Amino acid sequence: MAAAKRAALLLVLCLYTAFAAGPFVWAAMLSLRTTTEIHRNHFAPPNPAHWDKFAEAWFTSNYGVYFTNSTQVVVSAVVILTLVGSMAAHCLARYRFRLNRLIYFVLFSTIIFPPQITIISLFQILVQYGLYNSKLGLTLVYVAIQLPLTIYILESFFARIPSDLFDAARIDGYSDWEIFWRVSLPIALPAVATTVILNFILLWNEFLYAVVLITEEANRTLPLGIQRFIGDTQEDVGMIATGLMIAIIPVVVIYAFFSERLIQGMTAGAVK
Amino acid sequence: MPVGQQQTSGASVCSTPWGTIGVFLLPSLLIYAAFTAYPAVRTIWNSFHKVLPRADEAVGLANYAELMRDDIFWRSVRNTITWACTSPLIEVSIALLLALALYAKVPGARFFRIAWFTPVLMSYVVVGILWLWIYNFDWGPVNVALRALGLASWAKAWLGDPKTALPSLIFVTSWMWVGFNMVVLLAALHSLPREVLEAAELDNCGWGGKLVYVILPLLRATLLNLVVLSFIGKMKIFDLVWITTKGNPLWATETVSTYVYKRAFEWTTFDLGYPSTIAALWFVIVLAAVLALTWLFRLREKLEY
Repeated sequence: MAAAKRAALLLVLCLYTAFAAGPFVWAAMLSLRTTTEIHRNHFAPPNPAHWDKFAEAWFTSNYGVYFTNSTQVVVSAVVILTLVGSMAAHCLARYRFRLNRLIYFVLFSTIIFPPQITIISLFQILVQYGLYNSKLGLTLVYVAIQLPLTIYILESFFARIPSDLFDAARIDGYSDWEIFWRVSLPIALPAVATTVILNFILLWNEFLYAVVLITEEANRTLPLGIQRFIGDTQEDVGMIATGLMIAIIPVVVIYAFFSERLIQGMTAGAVK
Repeated sequence: MPVGQQQTSGASVCSTPWGTIGVFLLPSLLIYAAFTAYPAVRTIWNSFHKVLPRADEAVGLANYAELMRDDIFWRSVRNTITWACTSPLIEVSIALLLALALYAKVPGARFFRIAWFTPVLMSYVVVGILWLWIYNFDWGPVNVALRALGLASWAKAWLGDPKTALPSLIFVTSWMWVGFNMVVLLAALHSLPREVLEAAELDNCGWGGKLVYVILPLLRATLLNLVVLSFIGKMKIFDLVWITTKGNPLWATETVSTYVYKRAFEWTTFDLGYPSTIAALWFVIVLAAVLALTWLFRLREKLEY
């Protein structure tokens, strides 16, 4: 009886797994087949597998450019975020001063802002400063939108480092900056890694700010490139699927190596 | 003066090291001021103006008055609120069932957990295109399955029918977010005090009783957090709609976000004032809703204990 129950439960779980992961498996199969093959049968396995479609997407459909743009924007935004965010988090966790909690609250509360409240003016402001339609402008905006979450995750981690450690460092003659750079940051490395991975994935997938702030083909990031591509060639299912896989692969690779850390980061805000 | 502070060092007790604090905080505050605070204030300022490429013109509350009479806006509000109110319930309840299933020590729990979490890592752009295909009238798996089951009359263009378009998209967000909620709940379940659960078992109160009287109350804080989080997420939703339906058919899937975008960058009115008004009003509504939700939950907490 118990065994039957268990088997039924497992069956339900497997069905749900198929439901959750099925669409990706299907997309992966489509990405290796040509559109003619696909229209003959949408659910057949990729036989033979057309790996050359990836080269075609990369070179002739401009995915190489999109991929490079996404990498440039996201990597520089994550580097700035990590440095600037951990400096602020360290400061808010370590130093007691008037306004400390107020600054923390002001920075953190922007997490709930709907993006519309800033996006129209950001468009105007970036046009004024000549940063509209540039990767630099998008990078700065990306730093701004992820800063609250980064500070939130890091602050709670920094605050748990025992202050004896800092006293010892100070007695050893460390300056404030050295305490941050050589004591706080190395200890907080797991939390820093979490924010790096989390920010990377969230920004890699970001669409709304990119669609408003970037219009030029040469500056498009991957989500924009994919959107343009479906607009141009609605029917070319096979090629679109290849493009989707190019966008997904970095995320899947990161997930394969850091799944636990990533889950931790994503859920950091939800568990208190 | 807190005790810990006095022990740290002689110098910092007497004076706050403002210079050091400034160096650490300044970059963040500058970015915040330039790319969050200033744009937000400017949007609110915009909302009282007609903002045309050449010049701004103060119009007082005219934009707000127009907004009150804007049927498409109210339609988009209704859609968004429907979304924001149904999604959390669907996501959190299914996630809870799945989390309980995994909590019951099934083989391969780790694998299930990692697999179910995957959809949330993909961008709405990717997810949107995948589901455009899944809902495709001719060859989408949904309709293919219906026809195979002999229910050909049920097959339809799911995103093309005003009646089914919004529910179909709500289904997509649920598909995406259930795994995330499940992982959070599973973590919360694992951190429950063992003694309490064992005590419940000794009292012989059965699975249902244990769930309702022991587990749910203990998970309350997490459950409510997830509800609020999901609610906020749906109040902002843009990407998925933009990729799949662009608010069609007949505004059936128009959300506030897509409507703002359309009014600001698609319609050829060139006025940025009116969309700013929508954004400003929506900002206030979201803020009020989140504050009300947290306040409501706090209140209940006080009543219970």
